[in-house]
Amino acid sequence: MKKIETSRRRFLQGSVALCVYATSSFSFTSKQNSTTTLEKIPYLCNMCRNKCAGFARVEDGKVQKLDPNHYFPKSRNMLCPKGNAGIDALYDSDRLKYPLIRIGNRGDGRYKKVTWDEAYEYIKVKLVDILEEQKDNRSTIAYCNGEGFNKDEYIKFFGSKIGSANFLDEGSICLNTKLGATQLTIGDIGEMDVAGSDYLIISGANRYESLITPDSIDMLHTKQKLVVLDPRCTITAIKADAYLPLNPGTDLAFCLSMIYIALKEKLYSQAYVKEYFNDFDKFESDILSQNYTAKWGESKTYIPAKRIEQITREFFQAKNPLYYLGRRSVWAQNDFQFRRAMVLINALAGSVNRKGGIIFGKPIRLDEEEINEPLYSNAEGRFDLEGIVYGSQKGGSWLNFRDKILSHTAPYPIKAMFIRKHNLMQNMPNIAKTKAMLEMMDLLVVLDTMPSDTAMMADVILPECTYLEREDMVVSFNRLEPSLALRNKVIEPLYESRSMQDILKGLGKKLSMPLFEVSAKYDEDLQESIAELGTEKAYKEGGYDLAELYKESTAVRNKKLITRQFGEAVYTSLKTRGVWHPYIEEQKELYNNYYQYYPPQKRHYSVKRKYKVNCYLKKLEKYGFDPIPCWHKHYDFNVKNGEFRLITGRYITTTQSATANNIMLKEFQEENFIWINSKVAQEAGINIGDYVAVSSSLGSVVLQAYPTNKIAPQVVWFSHGFGIQSNEMTHAHAKGASDNMIIEDKFEKIYGCATMHETNVTIRKL
Amino acid sequence: MMANYAMAFDYKLCINCHACEVACKEENGVDLGAKNHRLWIEEDGETEGNFWNLNREKVEFIQMQCQQCEEAPCLKACPNGAIYIDERGIVRLHKERCDLTLACMKACPYDARYIDEKNALTDKCIFCADTRLARGETTTACQISCPAKLRYFGDLDDDESEISRVLRERKHFKLKSELGTKPKLFYLE
Repeated sequence: MKKIETSRRRFLQGSVALCVYATSSFSFTSKQNSTTTLEKIPYLCNMCRNKCAGFARVEDGKVQKLDPNHYFPKSRNMLCPKGNAGIDALYDSDRLKYPLIRIGNRGDGRYKKVTWDEAYEYIKVKLVDILEEQKDNRSTIAYCNGEGFNKDEYIKFFGSKIGSANFLDEGSICLNTKLGATQLTIGDIGEMDVAGSDYLIISGANRYESLITPDSIDMLHTKQKLVVLDPRCTITAIKADAYLPLNPGTDLAFCLSMIYIALKEKLYSQAYVKEYFNDFDKFESDILSQNYTAKWGESKTYIPAKRIEQITREFFQAKNPLYYLGRRSVWAQNDFQFRRAMVLINALAGSVNRKGGIIFGKPIRLDEEEINEPLYSNAEGRFDLEGIVYGSQKGGSWLNFRDKILSHTAPYPIKAMFIRKHNLMQNMPNIAKTKAMLEMMDLLVVLDTMPSDTAMMADVILPECTYLEREDMVVSFNRLEPSLALRNKVIEPLYESRSMQDILKGLGKKLSMPLFEVSAKYDEDLQESIAELGTEKAYKEGGYDLAELYKESTAVRNKKLITRQFGEAVYTSLKTRGVWHPYIEEQKELYNNYYQYYPPQKRHYSVKRKYKVNCYLKKLEKYGFDPIPCWHKHYDFNVKNGEFRLITGRYITTTQSATANNIMLKEFQEENFIWINSKVAQEAGINIGDYVAVSSSLGSVVLQAYPTNKIAPQVVWFSHGFGIQSNEMTHAHAKGASDNMIIEDKFEKIYGCATMHETNVTIRKL
Repeated sequence: MMANYAMAFDYKLCINCHACEVACKEENGVDLGAKNHRLWIEEDGETEGNFWNLNREKVEFIQMQCQQCEEAPCLKACPNGAIYIDERGIVRLHKERCDLTLACMKACPYDARYIDEKNALTDKCIFCADTRLARGETTTACQISCPAKLRYFGDLDDDESEISRVLRERKHFKLKSELGTKPKLFYLE
């Protein structure tokens, strides 16, 4: 792979002049003199979802280097390649620098530079028109957010204050089935104690190429047996003690066989089952009657029956076994049942609320700031969970939402969208549909740091600063070794960019009164209130001041919140170390810059809590779904001759499409390559680096081939996050191919999540 | 300050995540471009057999960089006498004496050097001597970022140092030791 995908080996060049010369404007060698001001500022990374802690070295106002922060239990004193390359995101010359208003067609990238006030004014005029037309149905304004930090603050503004029910986030194109399966089965989403487990099975989650802290780090520092199931031999698979290649989408069959064997051979923890399981008899008789033998499992997964039996026995004999529940996108229609089966396997082993299992732990609760929420009597409810059994009330279902808008079957039209750091034009299957949806909007506003494909569709672009240029509200992390962490501001925002809070503050000031006036026209309850209290009082007491939450800066709010709840010392720790946990003063280095945070006896492995393991979900049965996980014929892996199942994932150096333009990370993976079985490639005359057209029912993309024995003959893989269309992303534009151009937009009906691994493709050498 | 700096790698832990490579380039201002780097990870060996019966055992990730040889071929090869071993045992360059004869690059059996075009000299790993160590820090950029913490860095002359301890306790080997270069990079078994 290295030979072609990256070229790290270099050979002596004949002449210096022949070498291409490139340097980044910010990577100068550090020469200190007496006038240099040098600071080390604690911050939290934002290059992916993890939020690892670091220290930024700043010289004369310029960030020179990012280093890991040894105080943070979650990230364990490491900084990954993306974290290290955060400096290149900050100083990316393609960044959005000024507020912009569109002057060309959507997508063509023609914008004019405007002042912040002009941008706010434009939004105000449009929004007033839209709300007049929709008679103050605030839910006509949809809003979405793809970044973990500040999500709640964003919801408070558009949901609580402006009053829209239509918030969408990444959950329905990510891991909602896993969260839901855990919540519904054991009453909590829990946390997996990887470090405490002595036997770890991972289905498909590529923990060594998609780092999750502390899980990936704990795997590196724990001597446990690692078993990996994957239709592709990833680095995680290469490093595993046992690698079980299997057919895509058949992990559930493996789980069902494990459950069957455990029940048949009574390998499970009988004491635990007796105390905690609801409906165990139903579960047992149901599974046993289905005859999910190892032989049956082999027929579905292609994992040899003997291996299935052996792994099952080893798992249940281990002291602290853990079947890792995963953290990535949803694969197939059976995804919820697959996640649920994994939870049930852990429960059968008694690996719940104990060391090395799914733990409940003891997160640090942060006090909420109070805000005064207006009530809008004309605001309607969300519609995207119609036809979905559970779904997330918070983040909804993107594909169902999009379909209902496009087919005009939504109960009311969506006229405006506010999109924050959520690259809709790349992040969900069937990009043509997303484009059509965005084109239906009367007002499209994007808050982002980069001129993404989605930003290029916007009417108004509001440049947000990066994570190194702002202080965010304090966050509580983790349950086993809970801590608080604070993202401190490293430098002032560059160009005219602003923090999200400052953007919403300005927008709130501009919108409050005009939108109140629309409500006063159409909202009978408000009219009554005005009649009773007078306009001024009705406005004030009703909470119509949209900028209320941002009256004070996040720095001031943090100080008040933290000192009030935890005291001065905790606040000081968060400002100087970026982190606080109860054992921070006595945490000790175990070896080579690797630390122990909580003493083992102080970790919250087990907590006192009443809970039950629900084997049987009545609601599912009511809606025509399986109350107990089981297999259906249509789950079988089936690919016609000459076709391939397309599966997706990502490289260690990329975070979806968010890092596509990073000049440092680009060195490792400038384009994505399609993995194709080497034997199949040979028969088709496809060599490494050959361009191939990959086609599904949605269309074709072109990218280079990487023939390898690390993928099954009927499967192909390529990474998400490439094939960026925006011309403004100069380093990423037109590099490689975008998976969501050809992934068919199907979604499962229990959580409304996009199923990413159900598209078959053909491949043609060009 | 006299010392004898060296590095040991718990190399089997490497997942080839590239954190060390990016950290090094950012810390030391190494020019962009995949060919410019002070350190890299060599992917040695491939998966063998067919997909359903894959042999993964030959795949190894090896940390590569200047081996800080005690008998450094580059030092002997340089016609300008630009290369020296400093008081901490690090193979260094008198920058002003380098005029890019490239003799050092050709002499190095480990392919450790590259051409730093910005400064018109040959560059390589010097254990962050003019960045982190110069600022009084005790770790290298690659070492501190590493998720596996597989890079041990320290003073061989100090019996109490972690690297001395780990070399006492664990079997290790050096690369191309038959050449007599006496490298100071150790690979732990």
